[in-house]
Amino acid sequence: MSAAVDAIEAAGQVDAGGLAQFLYHEARLLDEQRWDEWQALYGDDGEYWVPASPAQPDPQNHLSLIYETGLLRAVRIKRFRHPNAFSLQPAPRCSHIISNVMFDGVDEAGALQVYSKFIMLQYRREVQDVFGGTYTHKLKPTDAGYRILHKRVDLINCDAAMTNILLYL
Amino acid sequence: MKDYSDAYLSSLIRSDSVHRDVYTDPEIFKLEMQRIWGCAWLYVGHVSQVPNPGDYFATTIANQPVIMTHHSDGNIHVLFNRCAHKGAQLVGDTCGHARQLRCCYHGWVYDTDGRLLHTPGQAGYQGTGFDKDHPINSLQKVARVASYHGLVFASLSAEGVDLITWLGGAAASIDNLVERSPEGRIEIAGGCFRYLHDSNWKMFVENLNDAMHPMVVHQSSSGTAKRVFEDRFTDKQDAVPFELEMLAPFTSDYDFFEAMGLTAWQYGHSVTGGEVSIHSAYSPIPGYAEALIARYGEEKARQILSVNRHNTVVYPGFTLKGAITSVRVVKPLAVDKTVIESWVFRQLGAPEELFQRSITYCNLINSQANLVGPDDWEAYHRMQQGLNVTDQNEWVSQHRYLNADVITDGVKQATGTSDMVFRHQFQAWKNYMLNTGTPA
Repeated sequence: MSAAVDAIEAAGQVDAGGLAQFLYHEARLLDEQRWDEWQALYGDDGEYWVPASPAQPDPQNHLSLIYETGLLRAVRIKRFRHPNAFSLQPAPRCSHIISNVMFDGVDEAGALQVYSKFIMLQYRREVQDVFGGTYTHKLKPTDAGYRILHKRVDLINCDAAMTNILLYL
Repeated sequence: MKDYSDAYLSSLIRSDSVHRDVYTDPEIFKLEMQRIWGCAWLYVGHVSQVPNPGDYFATTIANQPVIMTHHSDGNIHVLFNRCAHKGAQLVGDTCGHARQLRCCYHGWVYDTDGRLLHTPGQAGYQGTGFDKDHPINSLQKVARVASYHGLVFASLSAEGVDLITWLGGAAASIDNLVERSPEGRIEIAGGCFRYLHDSNWKMFVENLNDAMHPMVVHQSSSGTAKRVFEDRFTDKQDAVPFELEMLAPFTSDYDFFEAMGLTAWQYGHSVTGGEVSIHSAYSPIPGYAEALIARYGEEKARQILSVNRHNTVVYPGFTLKGAITSVRVVKPLAVDKTVIESWVFRQLGAPEELFQRSITYCNLINSQANLVGPDDWEAYHRMQQGLNVTDQNEWVSQHRYLNADVITDGVKQATGTSDMVFRHQFQAWKNYMLNTGTPA
């Protein structure tokens, strides 16, 4: 694996356009509520993390708005379709916009690090909320495309008093 | 007639129901802020948030901005966060360290006990009658401050019983929170959630001791967690992931919640659970019981761990869970607007996994992006909307197990799904609101 990454780096083949296309794809799966396909981008160990404070060092010793791997994502996704998930009735919708995508190099484990900015609109029952901030993705190139090892969502207002976040950011 | 007289307020509370206006009328909310929140002991913070002289923590009590300071002589002060001059808030951030507090506007400087030290351009005040040393020109102190195991409470009223008397039986929940540390010491750590609700504060407070809602409200989260577990872990030998240990008990059956029981004390305080609660079946954390035994001896350690109070409500606005070492603090903003703050304590001397488990629990249950809280939020929202309806049904029922309370030495007990706690809270509400001087 690391040899493959080395080769990519050496050849300068990391294509920022391709990385951006992947981030758009991930966001589109969320907007279109194709959660099983979205979950498949991560695999069981892939982390999805929304810290509750700015510059939070880790998810273990500090509160997080969301910190999930495959197990908890499976619960959340199954709940999205539950007939008695009352806070999802009427169903919320969302729209992601991603910009400022930059390739930030390869980490020690061989993952591609990608920086981007996002805005997510969440709408439910006459109320529209705007969430925004920074994404940090760690991606692993595979034959079947990129796999998400880690996605960190730093909301600019993560420590503010705020109401429900009902969908994945 | 809505004259907000004692007779009118009294008429809103019946022995088996309350009038819907107590949740929706902005005038009643204003009176609550004066007569309940302006009198009761309110949680400010924990001393571990201001460990050194000069440390401060800015927060609100009863919608008033206050600063908790650690003064150079070691005393903790709770001061109103406004300059004595023109009212600018003195501290603009949540916490920090300052040798002195200097106003951002005209530079008045105060000591950390609130005393005015200096005003620039003093010549201009000569002969004007302005007295820098008059107490009104220092930061005003909240009327009463007291702490219990380092938890700092304040009351905006100079009158009233002392904190320990007021806490009564609820103090045992704080004792247990602290005793769960093998060093007998706790500290706030890991940040804070601030969850904004568009509903009346009493709905959240009631819900903590409402054992008839979890199996309905949390079916989609807790029930789903159980299904996912059954799908994924087919081998009975598989260890249950802690996240599922936490989510699953929310959809225990009615008998389970019945058995948790309810206890209520003077001034509106109450608790669900005792020896059994939704927290009592968690897997042990390696090394934790051993650390408690080393400190307290086997019998006392077992007794500490056997206390499984679910939610303790220190009426009106402080709630805690000993078993998962966290507190939720109620901050009413308007009749239909309430912030719930969640804080976690680290038990010093315990394995770090205990703290991390509490963090995980709060992420799963108390975060505004979790699977559990939004369904409670939704129930409160729908009540807030529905109770504004002007139909003939004006009264909110609190009939469950009416006249079945067991009262011993002033302590009320009832079966877990009784409405006893709601009736009890509104008796306290009435006593505060009528200013009789003998709450609950």
